[in-house]
Amino acid sequence: MAIFGLWVINKAGGLVYQRSFADGLAQLTSNEYLVLAGTLHGIHAITSRLSPIPGQSSGAQVIEGETFKISVLLTLTGTKFILLTSPAEPASSIDVLLQKIYTTYAEKVMQNPFHTPEMPIRSEAFDVSLGALIS
Amino acid sequence: MTIYSLYIYDRHCTCVYYHDWHRTRRPKPAVERGILPAVSQAVVAPAAETNSSTFTIYSSPRNTLTSASGVVVAVNEMNAQSTVSPLLQAPPSPVGISSTGLSFDEEVKLVYGVVLSLRNMIKKLSGRDEQFLNYRTSAYKLHLFETLSGYKFVMLSDPGTESLRFVLRQIYVGPFLEYVVRNPLVNMDSKEYGIDNEYFRTSVDRMIRGSSFFP
Repeated sequence: MAIFGLWVINKAGGLVYQRSFADGLAQLTSNEYLVLAGTLHGIHAITSRLSPIPGQSSGAQVIEGETFKISVLLTLTGTKFILLTSPAEPASSIDVLLQKIYTTYAEKVMQNPFHTPEMPIRSEAFDVSLGALIS
Repeated sequence: MTIYSLYIYDRHCTCVYYHDWHRTRRPKPAVERGILPAVSQAVVAPAAETNSSTFTIYSSPRNTLTSASGVVVAVNEMNAQSTVSPLLQAPPSPVGISSTGLSFDEEVKLVYGVVLSLRNMIKKLSGRDEQFLNYRTSAYKLHLFETLSGYKFVMLSDPGTESLRFVLRQIYVGPFLEYVVRNPLVNMDSKEYGIDNEYFRTSVDRMIRGSSFFP
């Protein structure tokens, strides 16, 4: 039961924040993370179009592999919070955690007058409160 | 728990089989020549079907009773289409229900693209040779089972379903091996034909309808 990492993607599909917590996934260069985040942004858009039933479908919310799973929270502003965890983590606790991360983001990043929206996040307060939240 | 549809892709990245159950949005027929023949009768472009219906009884190979003088002695009422089982025929399209807005061949390619990208992403992230299993949205869940020979079995179900990977594996081990791999008339690795045949389609249908999670 572990949390491997957190990514934050802006509404254009660019990665603005990436952090690894526990070991378990491969160590990638920051360039590779950028590419993966862009890919995930595109996949999320396409999956909402492939629905076999009429009506609106959200994009992919949970993507499962064998040793980890990816949970996605899409906010109303288009920002995506991606949490990479072990597969055993219950979905409800992941949803609660994603909402708390979103609240922390609103408090420490959005309310920071020196932060430009949609730009990479460089905020020590955000890092510290995330560390407190996830451990 | 409902199952919506099943796609099978071969190692050449083309869709070779399609089957659907509860799908309320009919797929739009494929652009002509956009898909291979023998993938699914349900999504063949209608132009092809009207062509075959103009085969009169006189040109059917089973008809041996007409005479050349123009006087018909006895006429075989069956035309070539009636030998096709009911499952292979196109279901009547419901009036007024819109599809995803894409024609079938575009939709099939999109599904394959999503599956391939997710598979590569998961392999990259984990660093090991790891399988992509499934993903869930608010409206459906997509399950993947991949064989060593490169065949990908993709199934769409409702989001509450548990992993259907074992069902896809059962389809592979049962009907697929029996009626496709061991069938000498099915050209498996061709780039021109799908693998739709009557036995495979009926046994897949029977297997899915008879399983516990199909309402």
